[in-house]
Amino acid sequence: MPSSSLALTPGLGSFLKCLKTNPIDTSIETLISLLKRRQIRHSRSCATATAYLLRSVISACRTADSAKLIERVQSVGRRLMAAQPREMVVGNIVRRVLGLIRDEAEDDRDAEFALSDIGSESQPQTPRAYDDPSVPLDRDSPSFRSDDRSSRPPLTSMFSLLSHPEPENSLPSTPGSSSPIGRFPGHAPSKDVRAEVLEGIGEIIDELGQVDDQIAAYALDHIHSNEIILTHTSSTTVQKFLLKAAAKRKFTVIHAESYPNNHEATHATISGSAVSDDDNIGLEAFQKPLIEHGITVILIPDSAVFALMSRVNKVILGTHSVLANGGLVAAAGTRVIARAAKVHQTPVVVVSGVYKLSPVYPFDFDSLIEYGDPSKVLPYEEGDLVDLVDVQNPIYDYVPAELVDLYITNLGGHAPSYLYRIVSDHYRKEDISF
Amino acid sequence: MNRKLGLRRSVGRLWHHFFFHKMTEPSELAPTAQVSNPASSPPEQAQSATENSQTLPIRDSKPTQPTKDAPASTDGATEKPLSPAELKKKAKADKAARRIQEKLAKEGGATGSTAPTPGVGAQARPPTTPKKDANGAASAQKGPRAPPPRRGSGPLAQTGSVLVEQKKKKDDKKVAVFGHLYGQQRRVTVAGATKEVHHAILALGMQLMDYTICGSSARCVATLIAFKRVIESYTTPLGTSLARHLTTHLSYQITYLSTCRPLSISQGNAIRALKLFIAGIDPSTPEASAKTSLCEYIDSFIREKITVADQVIADSAAQKVQDGDVIVTFAGSSIVKQTLLLAHQQGKRFRVSIIDSRPLFEGKSLARDLAKCGLDVQYSLVHAITHAIKDATKVFLGAHAMTSNGGLYSRVGTALVAMSAKERASGVEIPVIVCCETIKFTDRVALDSIVVNEIADANELLPMSTPVSLVVRNPADAYVPPPPENKKGGNRAPAPEPPVVPHNNSSSPLANWHNTPNLQLLNIMYDVTPAEYVDMVITEMGSLPPSAVPIVHRMVTNL
Repeated sequence: MPSSSLALTPGLGSFLKCLKTNPIDTSIETLISLLKRRQIRHSRSCATATAYLLRSVISACRTADSAKLIERVQSVGRRLMAAQPREMVVGNIVRRVLGLIRDEAEDDRDAEFALSDIGSESQPQTPRAYDDPSVPLDRDSPSFRSDDRSSRPPLTSMFSLLSHPEPENSLPSTPGSSSPIGRFPGHAPSKDVRAEVLEGIGEIIDELGQVDDQIAAYALDHIHSNEIILTHTSSTTVQKFLLKAAAKRKFTVIHAESYPNNHEATHATISGSAVSDDDNIGLEAFQKPLIEHGITVILIPDSAVFALMSRVNKVILGTHSVLANGGLVAAAGTRVIARAAKVHQTPVVVVSGVYKLSPVYPFDFDSLIEYGDPSKVLPYEEGDLVDLVDVQNPIYDYVPAELVDLYITNLGGHAPSYLYRIVSDHYRKEDISF
Repeated sequence: MNRKLGLRRSVGRLWHHFFFHKMTEPSELAPTAQVSNPASSPPEQAQSATENSQTLPIRDSKPTQPTKDAPASTDGATEKPLSPAELKKKAKADKAARRIQEKLAKEGGATGSTAPTPGVGAQARPPTTPKKDANGAASAQKGPRAPPPRRGSGPLAQTGSVLVEQKKKKDDKKVAVFGHLYGQQRRVTVAGATKEVHHAILALGMQLMDYTICGSSARCVATLIAFKRVIESYTTPLGTSLARHLTTHLSYQITYLSTCRPLSISQGNAIRALKLFIAGIDPSTPEASAKTSLCEYIDSFIREKITVADQVIADSAAQKVQDGDVIVTFAGSSIVKQTLLLAHQQGKRFRVSIIDSRPLFEGKSLARDLAKCGLDVQYSLVHAITHAIKDATKVFLGAHAMTSNGGLYSRVGTALVAMSAKERASGVEIPVIVCCETIKFTDRVALDSIVVNEIADANELLPMSTPVSLVVRNPADAYVPPPPENKKGGNRAPAPEPPVVPHNNSSSPLANWHNTPNLQLLNIMYDVTPAEYVDMVITEMGSLPPSAVPIVHRMVTNL
């Protein structure tokens, strides 16, 4: 551990701090050890850490040659993924950065031919070009981005994304795709791949910061008055989703406590006494809990899910990562909940940021499952029993796609069968297994 | 069954309380004093009542307060003349408050501050106080300190108007869908029991209340044994016959037991059979021989319906276990344990995977017993059902009851296990076998788990084991006794810190859930597994499909 992070518990916060002060190789080592020790846990924290690290890697890499950049990112990415193969978001972010670099490289080639045509079109974006790409985009940038979006409707609207003739050329998930800026005549287009990639990563980081809010924007479409919603774990995405709906509508939430791996966080979340742990920096620390919005929250043990399912209108689940086939890897216990919902014909809605969507296909389900601390299941006070029995504490469940009715990502709602398409939009074929 | 009997030390202590109060019973009218001052309109009343509770010594160490002749006119407000409308309103409020007070005194009599506040409105009450009530409140007054906390202690009652508020708050904490199941508040102490209740029943009540005796057959057997003791010490009063009077005498015991914990289906069936037998006794039979025949009947009932039935079931269920099997079971069923041990004794080699659930963790003792006998045991919690069921070959389940539509009514979570067995990822269904004595069959039907259920105290869901400290409002107001020795051998999640903590700095975020609006905790005991998830019900009358339950039930009850 670097000395600078001694004051903090190791985690995302300490890592970001260390990233500022330490040389890049130390930072890579730090993140690898954090991942290995599972000191950085949540999908989003891992994704954020990876994105920040790659940004530093690229800005430290003094070359304009995209092939070299790709090679460098690939080597760092491989090490990170080897550190924690089950944390699939790490690979996702690496793949997206690789895709960015490839896009830029291709765009540059195209731009050399199309420079004169496009230059005038991207004129309104002048202020953007003065942004220093190495400074991370702030949280206040959504307004900026929405301007950006409205100024270029044909490139960013969902419709045009789907019907885009060459999907490989754009990165649809980041609406403010950086390619037009590169075409601004003031820049030397072919030389500044790096700056644009950095900007692109800035946008990924930005996306990670607001993905929950974007997902929450769909809440009112799915939660209606007097519904009974069942959820599980203390997922912030789900909480924000419910909170958004709570602002307008009255409904009831049944919360399974996900004992023993996440029950403390769940209790804290529903009672509103959540301590802002290191991994959830800033944003949701001061979030009011659902109960303060007048929403009745019923806490139940996991075992009571089946008993209550007959009264539930909708099951809303968070997830750890989503796989290309529409299945998902989520907190243990999710599968029985989804199955119970299926049996009762209750719709199951999974909310997840697109960054959790992984191109991995689950050929071997068991390899995706991580096992945790068995003392949470059987504490060591029961010494005699610990010796005699075999205790299992899986942390994740694989939930097959047929148990999920709907995915809601920051891009909108999708059927599980459609996810492969989003995967191919986000990751380039050559990066899927790098 | 192995967990039953053996009085808790605390039971003994409470016993002592009980007798003590019965003997001294200082003021029959003690609870009359507590309600409120008679002459102020409700809002003022709230204020003055609380004032009273603050200024007056609630927890007086002198046992005999001259409550009866305490002048109500000490309160200035009494002098003020009231309009008839006001009087009516006040009387109404009084009545409501009193009713709640009585109820709370009954259920939580000895929890502490139901102690009457002397000097207020003694004459506002009619002098006819139910004796039951007097007992409860008297013991509350006398008890120098609160009894040891147990699961399910009710909130402390303070004064009438506060009670109304509390009552409202309590209603908030009731999950609306299960509203029909909250009906009766559970008793938390022996205080307030009628004098007809036999001491064996009092002890049993305590054991049922805190799950020392848990499990459908164990509860049934324990009840029958306690009834035997009741019958042994019973003498028919003059002018009645045993057949007529014993039933009423038993019904006191039954009422008491049902306030401790709602009766199980098996208890109900056994009681019905017993009553039927009593009714059939010839009134001319001498009392001694009638009692002997009753005791013999009880003995043979236990033997026939449970002990031998269990052996028969274990015998035929063990035949279903084969070498190399992986048996999944849920929570701790005595009959499943017996089956697995028998199969092990028969030299079969198999693995057992126990799935357990919060908050009772009944599977732990099953795991311990099986592992000690040398079985290969795997233990996991509900969240790992999918993993446990993955390589299972059979599921054995115990039952609390079988409903007439073939549903399996059992510990909450059973349905999840049965469902997982039937809907496996591989598409291969594995057999779900239920071991159940016919005494647990009922003619009730249940479409889902909401129709029939039992709601346990939600405080059991808190990660800590000191429920009482959570409802004590002011630490100075009531002495919080040290937590009871944990008899259930770590039935709870490990307390994150030493349990003797003042309630306000307890670490659990839910510690204050009683006062958090909109937050509800639901702790149901059972769920109903649909008949399609059950392949076979092994009973002492043979192995049946779940659809045969109503037929067998009819055969058994008509015999």
